[in-house]
Amino acid sequence: MYGGGNLFEPMSKDALKEEDPVKLSEFEARIERGEKIEPADWMPQMYRRQLIRMIEQHAHSEIIGALPEGTWITRAPGFKRKLALMAKVQDEVGHAQLLYSAAETLGKSREAMINDLINGKSKYSNVFNYPAFTWADCCFISWLVDAGAIVNQMANAKGSYGPYCRALARITIEEAFHLKYGHHCVIHLATGTPTQRKMMQEAINRWWKPMLQFFGPPDRISAHTEVLMKWKVKMLSNDGCRQQWLDMYVPKIWELGLTLPDDKLRQNPDTGKWEYTEPDWDEFKKVINGDGPCNKERLAVRRTAEERGRWVREALRKPKSEYVVPLA
Amino acid sequence: MKSLDPRINRLDVPEERNTDFRKDPMDQLETYEVFIQPKVDKPFQHEGIVHATDQDMAFVFAKEQYSRRGTCSGIMIIKTADVFTTAFSDAGVSIYQKIKPASDPEDQKVNYEVFHLMKRGKQHTHVGIVRATSTEDAVFQAKMILDQGKPVFNVWVAKSDNIYISEVAYRDIWDTLPEKTFREAIDYRGAEKIKKFKDEQGSQK
Amino acid sequence: MNTEAIIDLLYKIADDQLIIGHRNSEWTGLGPILEEDIAFSSMAQDKIGQSLVLYRMLNDLGESDPDTIAFMRNADQFHCCQFVELPIGEFDFSIIRQFLFDTSEIIRFEMLSSSAYEPLALASKKFKGEIKYHIMHANIFMKQLGNATEESVKRLQDALETAMPYALGIFETSEYEDAMMDEGIFAGEATLRNKWTERIEEVISNTALKLPDIGNIEPKTGGRYGKHTAHLQPLLDEMAEVLRIDPGADW
Repeated sequence: MYGGGNLFEPMSKDALKEEDPVKLSEFEARIERGEKIEPADWMPQMYRRQLIRMIEQHAHSEIIGALPEGTWITRAPGFKRKLALMAKVQDEVGHAQLLYSAAETLGKSREAMINDLINGKSKYSNVFNYPAFTWADCCFISWLVDAGAIVNQMANAKGSYGPYCRALARITIEEAFHLKYGHHCVIHLATGTPTQRKMMQEAINRWWKPMLQFFGPPDRISAHTEVLMKWKVKMLSNDGCRQQWLDMYVPKIWELGLTLPDDKLRQNPDTGKWEYTEPDWDEFKKVINGDGPCNKERLAVRRTAEERGRWVREALRKPKSEYVVPLA
Repeated sequence: MKSLDPRINRLDVPEERNTDFRKDPMDQLETYEVFIQPKVDKPFQHEGIVHATDQDMAFVFAKEQYSRRGTCSGIMIIKTADVFTTAFSDAGVSIYQKIKPASDPEDQKVNYEVFHLMKRGKQHTHVGIVRATSTEDAVFQAKMILDQGKPVFNVWVAKSDNIYISEVAYRDIWDTLPEKTFREAIDYRGAEKIKKFKDEQGSQK
Repeated sequence: MNTEAIIDLLYKIADDQLIIGHRNSEWTGLGPILEEDIAFSSMAQDKIGQSLVLYRMLNDLGESDPDTIAFMRNADQFHCCQFVELPIGEFDFSIIRQFLFDTSEIIRFEMLSSSAYEPLALASKKFKGEIKYHIMHANIFMKQLGNATEESVKRLQDALETAMPYALGIFETSEYEDAMMDEGIFAGEATLRNKWTERIEEVISNTALKLPDIGNIEPKTGGRYGKHTAHLQPLLDEMAEVLRIDPGADW
C-alpha cells in the first residue's frame, strides 16, 4: 500500500550535465515511444537513484503496512474475516518481497534496504505511523487506505521501469481483493448494529486526516518533479491522486450513512474539484521524521523480527554464496 | 513496549536500542529466478525471484509467493547466477540480429533452456531447448532454431542441468487453489446490503 | 454408523487444525525472511480452511454453525491436543512443531482417506495436496537447520525435547477407538503413532539431531477431553474478542 507523496531527492539543474547526451537522448526517446526500460539498459544516474528511492519506499510501506492490520489478525471476527485478513496481510508481505526485488535489479541489495529502513534512513508511508485502535480501524485501512494505494499504483504501473511495472501488475490484481474485502467489512459495520456503526464512524474520524495526508503535500509546496514526470518515474501529482481518491470514495462513504469530519468538504460544482480543510502539513513532516504515534513501535518491531530471524538466516546461508543482481 | 497488537506484546520488543542495525553480507541469501507454468499445455513464464538457500527451498518459497492464486501445474527454478542474458534491443529490432556464431564449437554439446522477451516490460517465456557448446553458442543456436521472425528483445539461456522443475507427482499441491475464494475479490459482494440499507433509510424519511 | 464416535473424531481434528492455524498466523509479518513469512501464512490459512471444512461436517451432523463452534466455546469444551495451543515461541519451536504435528496429520489423513465415513474420506483426499506441501516445507527446514550451525542444531534439539511430550499427546486415545476400528472409520491412534514414529525417525536421522527416547516420555494428554494448558483460554478470548463485542451482529 503506497499513496505517493513520495520523497524524491531534490534535483539540481546540473544533475544531467555529466550524462552522455547521445545515450540520454536515446533513453528519453525510448520512454517517449512508450517502451519500458529494462535493468541492463543504460540509464541516467538520477533515474536510477530516484527509482531506487521510490521503489524502496514503496517496499518499506508494504512490510510496515503489514503491522497496523496485523494488529487484528488474531482477532478477526469469524471464519470469513479470519481467512481474508490472513490472506490480506500476507499479500502485503508478498508485495514487499516483489518490490524489494524490483529495487534490487537497480543495484541496491535487500540487506542494504532493510538496514536503511530500520536505521530510519529511508522512509515509508506516513499513514502506517498511526494505530489501529479497533477492528473498524483495520477495516478502514483495508478499504480506504488500499483504495488510495490503488490510485497511485495504477498510475505507476504505466511508468517506464520494466521490473517495477511487472511487480505492480501483480500487486494491483491482489489489491482488487483488498478493496472488495475492505469495502465488504465496512458495509457490514456501517449497516450493522448501533455498536458497529459507532465503531466505524469513530474509525473514520480518526483516519480522515492521515488519509488525506497519505497522498503527500500539495503540489504547490512539493519538490519540482518535471524531469521525473518526463521519465515516467512519477506518473501522477499528489493532488491528482488525492482528487481521484476523493472523487471515487467520498460518495461511497456517504452512501453508507457515514460522515466525514470536515465541514468544508464538498465538490465544487463549477470545477468538479473537491475542496477540503487543508491538513496540517507541519504535523505531517513531524510524523514522517519520526515523531508520530507509532513510528518507534513500527521500527522496533521490524528490528525485533529481523533479529529473531537472524540465526535462521545464518544457518541457511551457504559459505560460498555470492550475490548476483536479479535479472528482471 | 506496550502495543495494541497482542502478538507484539508477546514478542518482548525492547523499548530503546542504542546501536545501529546492520545486516551481514548475504543475510538475505542468494536469489533464484522463478518460472510458473499456469497450465499443463502452457509454457513456463518468468514471474520474479525468491531469496533462498537452494533450489528445493526456492521452490517451496516460490509456490506460495507466485502461485497462491489462479492455476499452476509446475514451477521451474534457476539460480540467478546460472542464467546468461543477452543485451536488450528496442524499437522493433530483434536482438538476434546482433547474434553471431560463437567461437568455440569444438567442445562437447549440452542442453540449454531458452527464454524470450517479446515485449519490453513483459515477462520472459520459455521457448525451447537447444544443444550447444557454451552460453554464447546456445544463443546462436536459439537464433537458428527458435527465432520465429518476430522481434525478440532479450534472450536468456541456462544449462538444463542447472534447472529445477517440480515433479509431476507434486501437481496435486495446487489442487485446492480454485476453492480458496477468500483470496479473490469476487467473494466479497456488498451491493445487496447497501441497497437494503438505502431502502430502509429511504422509508424512514 | 456410530455418530458419537464420528463427532468425537471430527472435533479433535477440527480443533487441532483451527488452533495450530491460529497460532501459526501469529507469524505473519514477523517471520525470519519475507519468503518464509509468506509460506508460513499460506500454511496457516490452509489449516484454518481445513478446520472449516470439518466444522461444516459437524454442522451437518447437528452441531452448531462453524463460527459458533469455533469462536464461542470455552477452553474446557475444546478437543485439540495441548501441543497446538502452546505459544509460537521462536522459529525453532514453531518449525519443530510444524514438523512433528504435520507429520502426524499427513498420516492421519492418509488413514482417513479410506474411512467408512465417506465425507471424511473425501475431505482427507482433498487435503492431501496441501499437507504434502506442508510436509515438504517442514522437512526442508529440518534438513537445513538441523545440519547447519552449532546454534541452529542446538536450538532445534532443545525445541525437539520441549515439544516431544506434547507431541505424543496428539495420540491420546478416545473412548471410541475400538468402535471406530470395528466400523472402519479410523484405524486408531496407536497405529498412527507407530507410523508417525517411523517417519520422524527417518527425517531426524538425516540431521545432526537426536531423537529423544520416545518410549520413556510421559505424553501430555488430556487435551482431547477438555484439559488444557493455561495458554488456550487466553488464545480463545483473543480470537473471539471482536465477535463478543456484539455477538448477535453480522461482522
